Parts: sequence; structure tokens; C-alpha cells
Amino acid sequence: MSAIKVVIHSFPLLLQAAMTTFVLSLVATAIGLVIAALVCALGLSKRRWLARAGAVYVSFFRGVPLLVQLLLIYYFLPFIGIDVPSLVAAVVGLSLCTAAYLAEILRGGLASIPPGQREAGEMLGLAKSQIWRRLLLPQAVRSMLPAIVSEVTLLLKASSLISVIGVAELTRTGQNIAASTYQPLEIYATVGAIYLALNLLLAAGGGMMERRFGLARR
Amino acid sequence: MKRGLWVGLVAALVGLSIAGAASAGHADDVLAKVKSKGELVVGTEMQFAPFDFLENGAQVGLNADLFREIGKELGVKVTFVDLPWDGVLPGLEAKKFDVVAGPVTITKERMTRYQFTLPIADATVALLKRAGDDSVMKPKDIAGKAVGGGKSSAQLDQLKLFAETLPGKADIREYVDNNQAYADLAAGRIVAVANSLPNISYVAAQRPDTFAVVTPPFGQKVYFGYVGRPDEDSKTLMAAIDDALRKIEADGRMEQIQKKWFGLKMDLPDSVPEPGF
Repeated sequence: MSAIKVVIHSFPLLLQAAMTTFVLSLVATAIGLVIAALVCALGLSKRRWLARAGAVYVSFFRGVPLLVQLLLIYYFLPFIGIDVPSLVAAVVGLSLCTAAYLAEILRGGLASIPPGQREAGEMLGLAKSQIWRRLLLPQAVRSMLPAIVSEVTLLLKASSLISVIGVAELTRTGQNIAASTYQPLEIYATVGAIYLALNLLLAAGGGMMERRFGLARR
Repeated sequence: MKRGLWVGLVAALVGLSIAGAASAGHADDVLAKVKSKGELVVGTEMQFAPFDFLENGAQVGLNADLFREIGKELGVKVTFVDLPWDGVLPGLEAKKFDVVAGPVTITKERMTRYQFTLPIADATVALLKRAGDDSVMKPKDIAGKAVGGGKSSAQLDQLKLFAETLPGKADIREYVDNNQAYADLAAGRIVAVANSLPNISYVAAQRPDTFAVVTPPFGQKVYFGYVGRPDEDSKTLMAAIDDALRKIEADGRMEQIQKKWFGLKMDLPDSVPEPGF
């Protein structure tokens, strides 16, 4: 088959796989943000052992390669009697890993707010919840957004690793097609272009949110 | 006390998972489990044409056809799990599936680590070259040249032994993935790729302008088989698959499937032969 024919022929399959990549990455980011908020709260806790637990979480999931984490979840858990299907293992692995990075982004965002802000809120007699909702969070989110968008693009690319546990995401599907057509160059060029397009889409979404939170005005 | 509640919850969860682990460790006959579930789970990599590959997103190849017949004989549904090859045998050991399709070349060393079914195809090694490359006309023409093979494949081992006998040896490159080796051959980085004859015949048939097979094959005669865990629990399943394969061979279905994917009928021994390699 000619190069163009191969690309046109395989494009619908690649697009479908790209949807898997995109959706899994977004789901993992959403779950990751929830875990990250908990881990960040642990890390900021005044109880020493809670703060320690948060730090241990971050160092483990940042310190062990995602590839190894995925293999552990998929191949090791069955040995202790928990059989996880590959899709579940993928979402769990991606979420747990990205949560560690997101937790640090959240911590950094909160730390960037000068203590005077909170003190001013307290002086004005605002309730604790009001200080968080009206003062601290809007400013923190504003400063965290670029880093979060960047983490999502990293995760989207790292999601190619879930191919090792048998999820037919974009990279794996590309490999499969390359293996049956014996035309790897055309297929991988297409796969690369699709990743780029997805990340441009994410960057555009991030830009819209930044404008919504008024980052540009600052 | 809120904190007391948390500690209790965590303790309960840990207790539960330990109990779960204990019950999962209980030994069970694999064939009985497959029959009661009504499903045989097969691990494979769908990047191994003509045995197992994807066409328009659907699995095709000898494995799909042959296991459909094996499933009929056993009276169960067959489900395939597609993993990169590096993960397939570890997945078998982690009991992610009941049997591995591959297929895998039957060698002495592997027979000590796994149980094999009856041979399902000839796995003798041959060379693939670029179409129109006159410098490689027979296997020993690779002397002193760069040749590729699949990392830790039985065919690579045979290639190494063969290269030792050549004057000037050969520069042997190991590839994680056969398809990378084919890509390097097309790009001119190597002059030939060693792989089993059915594999490379299929590659050459798909891209006759780019690739050609160097005849004859070389090295020891070896066969492909399917693989099960070496434990007692898997024995009955492996025996049942062998019985199914004998029946499929006897009534001509095997010949039909082989002709479809290899273009010819292969003569196979009706017991696992003592590998000479």
C-alpha cells in the first residue's frame, strides 16, 4: 500500500485509540486531583505523622518509574489475590502517579500566597471557610494552572506506557497496525501528529481557563 | 473518636485483603475452572503475523482460527488478552490467563520451564533479505555482514550458532521487536533478518517489492507450540488441548487453517518431539 493509503486506512482506528488515550488521561487527572488534594492536605497537617504520610506518598509515586508502578499493579496484585483488569490497572496507576506531582503543584501554589493575605482575612473577621474560598483558593488556582496544564500534557504522553499492560491506547494501536502493514514510518508519524494535536487542544483549553481565572490580567 | 474509627477501618481492610489472598492461594485444577467458567483465557501478542495480528482492528491469524476450533472441542468460549510479548509469559505465571498462544518455539531449555502443547507449526529458522539484493543468495552469504534477530528468540540463538561456523562470523543485532528488525532491513542497516520460516514468508508475501526469503532454511528443525504453566494444576488443561489438536488435525481442519495462513500444509509430529536444540 502507498504511504497515504496506509494512513487513510488506519486513521479511524488511530482516532478511536486516541480517544482512549485522551479520556483515560482526563479521568486519571480528575481522580488524581482529588487524591492530590488529600495528599496535599496531609502534607500541610500539623500532626507530624499525617504530614509524614503525605511526604511518603509523594516520594514513592514520584520516585518509582510509572512503568514499574503499572507492572506492579498489573502483575503483582494477582499474587496477593486481587485480580485487576488492565483498564482498571491503567487508570489506578496513572491516577496515583499524577496525584503525587499534582499534590506538589497544589502545595507550591498555596505556599506562593503571602501569609499576610490570610492574616488580613482574619483581621477582617472572615470565617475560615471564607478565607479559603474567597481569598486563598482563587489566587492559588490562578498560579497553579499553568503547572497543572503542563502536568496533564506530560500525563497524556506518559499514558503510552499503559500499552505494556495491554490497553489498546494510541501508541499500542499504532504498533499493532505497523506490525500488520509492515509500514512503521507512516504509522508512527501519524501517531506523533495525533499526540501533538491532542496536546495543542489541551494547551488551548488551559489558555481558556487561564483567561477565565484572569491570569492574563495579573 | 474519629481517629479511632479510621484506624479500625484500615485494620479491617488489611484483614480482608489478607483473607482474600489466602483463599486465592488455594490450588485448583485449571481445566475444571475453565469449564465451570465456560471461558478459556489466552494470552498473546497480536503483532506476530501470520499467527496473530490485527486487521482493521480485529484479531486475525492462525491463533484466532485454531483456538476457535479448540474452544469448540472444549465447549468453552475463548477470550484473548493482547500484551506486549515481554509481558505475556510473566502474565501466564501471574495467572492472568490459562494458556499462551504466541506461539513459542519448543526448545530444550523452555521445556524445563513450561508445558507445551503438540506442535502447531514448523519454526525452523530462515533469512529474510531485501528484494533484489544479490549479495545474499544463500544463508552463508551473511558472513561478515550485519544481521538482525528477535531478542531472546530461539531463532536468534540458532543464528548465533550458525554465524560461529562462518568465516568472518557475522555482526548480529538483537531487536526487542521483530518489526523493528524488518524496518532496519528495509532501511538498509542490516542485510538480513533471521526468524521462523512461516513468519518471514508472510512478511515477504505482504511486501514483495521490499522483501524476499533466502532459501533454504538453516539450523535444527524446531516447532512452534502453545504454552501452559508447568504446575500440576495445568496438566489436565494441556492434555485436553492436545486431544482437541489431534482431532482438529485428524478431520482436516488443521490443514485448512494452515493452508489459509501459510499457503501450504505442514507435516507435524503427533507428540511433542525431543528438541535437538
